[in-house]
Amino acid sequence: MTNVVIVGYARSPFHPAGKGALARVRPDDLAAQVVRTLVERTGVKAADIEDIIMGCAFPEGEQGFNVARLVGLLADLPISVGGMTVNRFCGSSMSAIHIAAGQIQIGAGEVFICAGIESMSRVPMMGFNPLPNPELAKRSAAYIGMGDTAENVAAKYQISRAEQEAFAVASQQKAAAAQAAGKLAEEIVPIPTKGGVVDQDGTLRPDTTAEGLAGLKPAFSADGTVTAGTSSPLTDGASAVLVTSEDYARAHGLPILARVKSVAISGCLPEIMGIGPVEASRKAMARAGIAADQIDVVELNEAFASQSLACIRDLGLDPAKVNIDGGAIAIGHPLGATGARIVGKAAALLKREGGRYALATQCIGGGQGIATILEAVE
Amino acid sequence: MSAPRIKKVCVIGAGTMGAGIAAQVANAGVPVLLLDIVRDPADRNAVAAGAVAKMLKTDPAPFMSKAAAKLVEVGNIEDDLAKVADCDWIVEAIIERLDLKQDLYAKLEAVRRPGTAISSNTSTIPLAKLTEGRSEAFRRDFLITHFFNPPRYMRLLEVVAGPESDPALVAAVSDFADRGLGKAVVRAKDTPGFIANRVGTFWIQAALNAAFDLELTVEEADAIAGRPMGVPKTGIFGLIDLVGIDLMPHLKQSLTSTLPADDPYQAIARTAPLIEKMIADGYTGRKGKGGFYRINREAGKRKEAIDLATGAYRPAATPPSLPGAAGKGDLGALIALPGKFGAYAWAILGPTLSYAASLVPQAADDIVAIDEAMKLGYNWKYGPFELIDRIGATKLVERLAAEGQPVPEILKLAGQRSFYRIEQGRRQYLGLDGDYHDVVRPEGVLLLEDIKAASKPLLKNGSAALWDIGDGVVALEFTGKMNALDGDVMKLIGEAIPLVQKSYKALVVYNEGSNFSAGANLGLALFALNIAAWGEIEKLVSGGQQAYKALKYAPFPVVSAPAGMALGGGCEILLHSDAVQAHAESYIGLVECGVGLVPGWGGCGEMLDRWKKNPALPKGPMPAVAKVFEIISTATVAKSAAEAKELGFLRPADGVTMNRDRLLADAKAKALALVDGYAPPAPPEFRLPGAGGRTALDLAVQGFQARGLATEYDGVVSGLLAEVLTGGDADPVDVLSEQDMLALERKAFMTLVREPRTQARVEHMLETGKPLRN
Repeated sequence: MTNVVIVGYARSPFHPAGKGALARVRPDDLAAQVVRTLVERTGVKAADIEDIIMGCAFPEGEQGFNVARLVGLLADLPISVGGMTVNRFCGSSMSAIHIAAGQIQIGAGEVFICAGIESMSRVPMMGFNPLPNPELAKRSAAYIGMGDTAENVAAKYQISRAEQEAFAVASQQKAAAAQAAGKLAEEIVPIPTKGGVVDQDGTLRPDTTAEGLAGLKPAFSADGTVTAGTSSPLTDGASAVLVTSEDYARAHGLPILARVKSVAISGCLPEIMGIGPVEASRKAMARAGIAADQIDVVELNEAFASQSLACIRDLGLDPAKVNIDGGAIAIGHPLGATGARIVGKAAALLKREGGRYALATQCIGGGQGIATILEAVE
Repeated sequence: MSAPRIKKVCVIGAGTMGAGIAAQVANAGVPVLLLDIVRDPADRNAVAAGAVAKMLKTDPAPFMSKAAAKLVEVGNIEDDLAKVADCDWIVEAIIERLDLKQDLYAKLEAVRRPGTAISSNTSTIPLAKLTEGRSEAFRRDFLITHFFNPPRYMRLLEVVAGPESDPALVAAVSDFADRGLGKAVVRAKDTPGFIANRVGTFWIQAALNAAFDLELTVEEADAIAGRPMGVPKTGIFGLIDLVGIDLMPHLKQSLTSTLPADDPYQAIARTAPLIEKMIADGYTGRKGKGGFYRINREAGKRKEAIDLATGAYRPAATPPSLPGAAGKGDLGALIALPGKFGAYAWAILGPTLSYAASLVPQAADDIVAIDEAMKLGYNWKYGPFELIDRIGATKLVERLAAEGQPVPEILKLAGQRSFYRIEQGRRQYLGLDGDYHDVVRPEGVLLLEDIKAASKPLLKNGSAALWDIGDGVVALEFTGKMNALDGDVMKLIGEAIPLVQKSYKALVVYNEGSNFSAGANLGLALFALNIAAWGEIEKLVSGGQQAYKALKYAPFPVVSAPAGMALGGGCEILLHSDAVQAHAESYIGLVECGVGLVPGWGGCGEMLDRWKKNPALPKGPMPAVAKVFEIISTATVAKSAAEAKELGFLRPADGVTMNRDRLLADAKAKALALVDGYAPPAPPEFRLPGAGGRTALDLAVQGFQARGLATEYDGVVSGLLAEVLTGGDADPVDVLSEQDMLALERKAFMTLVREPRTQARVEHMLETGKPLRN
């Protein structure tokens, strides 16, 4: 079977929605700059790109109209390059990678840009016109708020507030250390804005302390344990990875970061959607024929500290290998862009840190998990 | 020389007064430069910038909108003084030190543009002293503009011109203060304390002295010196607690040092040992640990009052009620009361009214200026001369003479006559020449009060009246208690429409109460629901709906002119008007959810229609619905006309009048401007999201409930509001008419009104004036 590899990864800086430095940047423009830079950095021949597959959780307004196609045009890619927008909420751009892998393996193209975009400043979560199905709303938690699911997971898996806060502090410290050491700079595409060039994440809160977090009010439930400090922030950002067949990468001398070993999706109860990564990762590991202790690098999206901790425990992951450069609590979670970020990051880390297997996984609103296993390429 | 129009202002001194003046200039839509000293060399504008930042967090807010705050440019007097050359009016509001003010003026003289008005906000320093050493050109451009705190909310501006001040320039500043800043300009003479503080300080001192001397409790003193005299119900001690007890010695010092030795104030000025001790111990009033009154939190938020003899706090006593006519506002009866209550009333009124009378023509040209200053600067309901009329000048003179107190000339002049009279429908005052003169309103001011004195209503019932205000325009006035709206108001609207159609051109909805209308008569509603008169209640709802829609579609322009609160039904009449001319200090909102109801007189549909047409919202069925739901379900009240525009209670083209006294004239002009080619609006149509949208709103409310921000019953009320705003059972492809929306409103209203928890909310609101969160 044709092997699929990740040959490049780039992202915009991540900034808090509303008050961050990217709030006034159109999401299509933001994604186009990331895509254009990815093409330039990898040196891939643009005419060989089959399609741009772009994830977006609320594909409307400025990120509507099949934004993938528009990003191709904005980035001045050859007119022959296609564009498809996919939506699996937070799993959108990881799904984009999975789709590309499938396309490559059925011989429907060799080079794909898999990207993600979300401006949570300019398109609100839930979109402009939320119209839930009243009957479904009565008989399921399909539309439950994400914070409520984090509370549910905390209660069900007995994750205390102090544990969540310790996890959040660690995420902030890892991200701050990575930023200070210049380890984030290589993946970031500087974005020119009216206020100047933005080339650093604006989401990090390196001064976060356990004491400071302990003083915050619960964000979702008056007697709950989840606070703004133990949740990923609303974020503006875009990400992109270049996915090709291994043969193409080798023939064109592209620098391979990792090979896609297996992928999986698994549904779970909407009210505990944060546990979604557990089953999805188990399926992906089974498909790859590996066990959790064989994994050297894990990128687990930190939608909330409570669900991250529950997943790490249930899967038996080594916390030291999880989110080495920090996770979404510090870096941010622009919904549609996160999947491509954590797959690209896992691939880059596998290369940087050494080791054989990497896992990228995340939970998805509405009750799903998604996972990707990567393998190092000699 | 003709004075320039004021297009930019500079305020120097970013203390409470200077910053507040700058904010009010910005509220008028005029750019303002706010300068203060450099305190931190690294952050040179920190003082002025800090003042603006602080004002954005102050409640009540000095700014009417966030947009206004952006009109304030901050700077410092070392780097930016040259910028005053671009300003048409420079207001100095630095600390009250003559040497510092004179230094600043010398610097200003070098950089300002000649012909630019310069004024000081001094409250104590004579104009003649301020301009010592300055050039003739400077003295020509100089005046005193004395604002009251807080500058946004206090309407009085005392203007003092010097002998050399250019009259055209004084007129230009006064006109800007009047139309732009909304101030009532009172011309005062260059005498210490000008008018309001001079009389006010004397009055407070007289009342304090007498309370100690006659051994009254603070509750007794305030019960006599408050409401019965037409003074805010705080009375004397409550007022001092509010402004700060520590201010008293400063006021005393500034007046005793500047008034002549034979001024009657010198004889009464003293600081009681108890007050000195209170200040030393930090009991400076509401801003400190407490004052003459305090809330004792250790005793379960118990209200306490100080014992004037011992200085110890004790639980506050119920204020005494005054017997007979004295308790009903008869000042003659009040001062004639036997015992210490009558003695106290006289000890305040006798000397204070006599002192005020002695200030004409010393501090003001006429009695009207003194009355205006006290009404607007100290919130007295009646000015000193109006109070004298209520006692009778003769009685006052007799008692003063009998006690050997001085009798001012003007009191002798009045003799048997009153200081004010109505002559052929015109209000007149007694001049120093012994003749009556018309009270002349500033040019362009139209007051219903004057019209009412001079004419009979076209229509009238127990809750409303219709007046001819000239030029083919009529005014609909609410006249019920608190201007509450009821069936009689709706009935009068029904009668007014054919009358206006037949004989007039336009209608203005306007009144001169302190509030336009706080909404439907809840007392009446509660009575009806206590006897389960559901049919009557539904009739009131549908009657209001019909009356408001009839106004909306009447064949003539309808302009509403609110000032103060326009809540609930008072807001809904604005929403049905062709245009609104609002006083800048209008507080508008649909607050029905606070009493467990939904807007029932067409407010839901009108707000939806407005927000649907707002181009700033994304397309689709939900954005307008979600926005209106948010505004109504949280009972949001706009805290200014500017904010009301942001919330959609007012349209972008609706007018805003800064000066309360010019509101009716502006509204009338707006109505007349609409007459030519007037056509009633076309009824709106509604495409609403239906059950799906309702589910989204319900989910949002559940989130608020989980966070403890909404009660279970809030969910019930907002659920019915959501039902109305999403179109009830309608499908998103259905088109709903205005009548459909009214039917949905009625249904939701009638469901809620039967709920015991709504009834509890209504009852609580009537009893306490505050919403019940059940």
